[in-house]
Amino acid sequence: MSKIEKALNKARGEHRALPVAMQGAGESDIRVPGTAVVADRVGHAISVGSIGRMDASESRLLSAGDLSERGIIHPERLEDPVVQAFRELRTRIVQQSRGQNGVILVCGVREGSGSSFVAQNLAAAFAFDAGKTALVIDCNLKNPSVHRLIEDASSQGLTDYLENPELDIAEIIRPVGIARYRAIAAGGRCELPAEHFTSQKMRRLIDSVRLRYGERFIILDGPPMSDIADIRTLTELCDYVIVVARYGLATNTQIENCLSAIDDKKLLGIVFNDEPRIPRVPRKKHSWRSGGERDYRGPGD
Amino acid sequence: MQMHPEQITRALINEAFHSRRLVVGLFVALNAVTLVSGLQWPKVYTASTTILVDDRNIVQPLMSGAAVPTEVTDRSRNAREVIYGRKIMDQILENGGWLTSRSTPEEQERIIENVKKRTTIATVGRNIIRIEYRDDDPERAFRVTERFAELFIQESIAAKAAESGAAFEFIEKQTQEYHDKLARTEKEMKELRSSSLEARSGSDVELNTRLSALYLRIDTASQELREAEIKGVALEKQLSGEVEVIATATREGQYRTRIGELQSRLDTLRLSYHDAHPDIAQVKQQIRDLTDGIAAERERREQMKRDGRSEGDQSAMNNPIYQQLRRELSQNQLTIEGLKERISDAQQRLQQELGQGRLLHGVAERLAEATRDYEVNRDIYQDLLRRRENARVSMHLDRDKQGFTLKIQEPVTMPQSPSGPRFWHFVGGGILLGILVPMGLLFARLNFDPRIRVGSTISTRHKVLVAVVVPHLWSPKELKSLRWEFLLLTLAVGATVVTSVALSVLRIAKVL
Repeated sequence: MSKIEKALNKARGEHRALPVAMQGAGESDIRVPGTAVVADRVGHAISVGSIGRMDASESRLLSAGDLSERGIIHPERLEDPVVQAFRELRTRIVQQSRGQNGVILVCGVREGSGSSFVAQNLAAAFAFDAGKTALVIDCNLKNPSVHRLIEDASSQGLTDYLENPELDIAEIIRPVGIARYRAIAAGGRCELPAEHFTSQKMRRLIDSVRLRYGERFIILDGPPMSDIADIRTLTELCDYVIVVARYGLATNTQIENCLSAIDDKKLLGIVFNDEPRIPRVPRKKHSWRSGGERDYRGPGD
Repeated sequence: MQMHPEQITRALINEAFHSRRLVVGLFVALNAVTLVSGLQWPKVYTASTTILVDDRNIVQPLMSGAAVPTEVTDRSRNAREVIYGRKIMDQILENGGWLTSRSTPEEQERIIENVKKRTTIATVGRNIIRIEYRDDDPERAFRVTERFAELFIQESIAAKAAESGAAFEFIEKQTQEYHDKLARTEKEMKELRSSSLEARSGSDVELNTRLSALYLRIDTASQELREAEIKGVALEKQLSGEVEVIATATREGQYRTRIGELQSRLDTLRLSYHDAHPDIAQVKQQIRDLTDGIAAERERREQMKRDGRSEGDQSAMNNPIYQQLRRELSQNQLTIEGLKERISDAQQRLQQELGQGRLLHGVAERLAEATRDYEVNRDIYQDLLRRRENARVSMHLDRDKQGFTLKIQEPVTMPQSPSGPRFWHFVGGGILLGILVPMGLLFARLNFDPRIRVGSTISTRHKVLVAVVVPHLWSPKELKSLRWEFLLLTLAVGATVVTSVALSVLRIAKVL
């Protein structure tokens, strides 16, 4: 660790003192051991530093119950098939990216496919791992959903950033109450999203968020495949594409049309979403009733 | 969409869970429908009896050929016709207690139709008729079936006897008819024969012989007549010639002949002598005398004429040829007359014979016809006589109940338990249907709905990796409502099953 980094850490530690104090005694022990674990596992100076910085900005972490209400998976329920599915998906991506971070576009075969759900939960799965962080960018400008995760509803988003040259990236990347998980909302309403996505600023945004943190996986919550122009533009910006087909909704014709519009090399696969399964009755101590009392600390806790 | 059995099972379970309300709703609804149907389903009691038809007994071989047994080709149809007849049905109506004073003919007709619908008549094996009757009242089922069997047996035997009796009567009537016909023909023949005695066989040949003899006789006589006539003409001619010669040979003629002779002597004498010669004078005297004699002769004849006397021509009478000719002519005339007589007689007889021949032909024709009729009628009559005897034997057989017997093989018993589907069949069927119908519908949806419900089919169809199958994520609220929902659905299914079972038990215990 270089002197400059030590100095930076010190400055940030001072800066972080206030929220830690506000979070109380229960939260104070999250940061340091978490950082230490990540440092042990990853062994990467910049990553550890950035994760530490991210942890510092967590204002208030959501409980497992809150997450369940919001439709986000929680590492406490590892036996839940949904959790397992997303972890498996994450593993696939990690294997595919070979140690690099990546930009993943998640788009539905049609509207209502649950691509936002997949995108947000995939991000959550990445965030399980203390050595990785996730950033969800809401690119579904017509039907945005990421802003619901963000506590500050009035915060600015992607379109604001693209339209306002004075706005800084840091101002639109918002915490969502989950460790190592950030989101960029769609922002104000926009009539011509494709024009934004083709802009240089958009490309720069993606590049900068990808390059700034090497362990950060950027997930683009894309529009449905019916907005084929947006999809084509976003496909160019991303490394991988995940197509979401919903149970009892997508037809083979739609999937075929969808696949024909995507570059085979970038296509990671199809996520068959929302398969109805009888839920397993969780064990008493891990049930969502009792889980509400505990905070989400990630599997490393 | 090709799927493995496990995939199908998995998909069906998922789909059933997905459409759990529909599945449970269908289950409950179908059970309710079958339960209601089961409760409403009328209890039907079936009573049956079998009747043995015995048409082969000891009498039959003995009477074979003499008695004709009634052929029973389709016993059940015959039985149906007998039983469904108005005669038996009316008695059944009375026996079943359906006949009330208020019931109109239309109502009766409707009741009869209902009874017919509930009655089954079938043949078991060759000789057994099974009568089955269903009713909601076990006692009535028993009564009606018993009465059916009784009336059927009664009616069948009566019908059989009536049939053979009618057959006998018919044949008897026919026999009588033919007998009359035969008698009539016989009488006619007799009359014909007596009307013309000659009308017997061979009489026409005799007639022909006679006719040809007559023809021959007429021909011969005609020929002879012609010859006689020719001869007569010739004789007449000859006779007329002879008359001239006979006239010169009279006295006057003799004088004239003498005068001629004397004249020629005178002429000869004058050649040698003068007129004064005595010889000449004598001759001249003689001539004068002769001329006077002629005049006297003429005078005498005229005198005779005036007096109306005729003493004949003595010179003619004395002409032998004339006499002979006259005789022959007369003879010939006699012959002609005789021949004419003969011809006319023959012709008369011919006419007679011809008339008789015509008569004879007419009679013979009629007689032949009558004989023919007689022969045909006689044959038929004899045949009928034989048949009548057969019919008589058959009739006696049926009357004595020897030819055809109907026995109740299996008597009717009072039905103790209702037949047809039981209540528990409905309960079981309802539960089975309640499971199978929704599953069938879901299976149909899986197969025919183009929307994908099995993730693995995407990879096989589009050759693309299905990275992961994400099950539905249950939020706490959803889980809570799902619990309630499960509880309610389980309650619904449980209540349905419990109700079904309870009703079955009550039904078995005969409370319901």
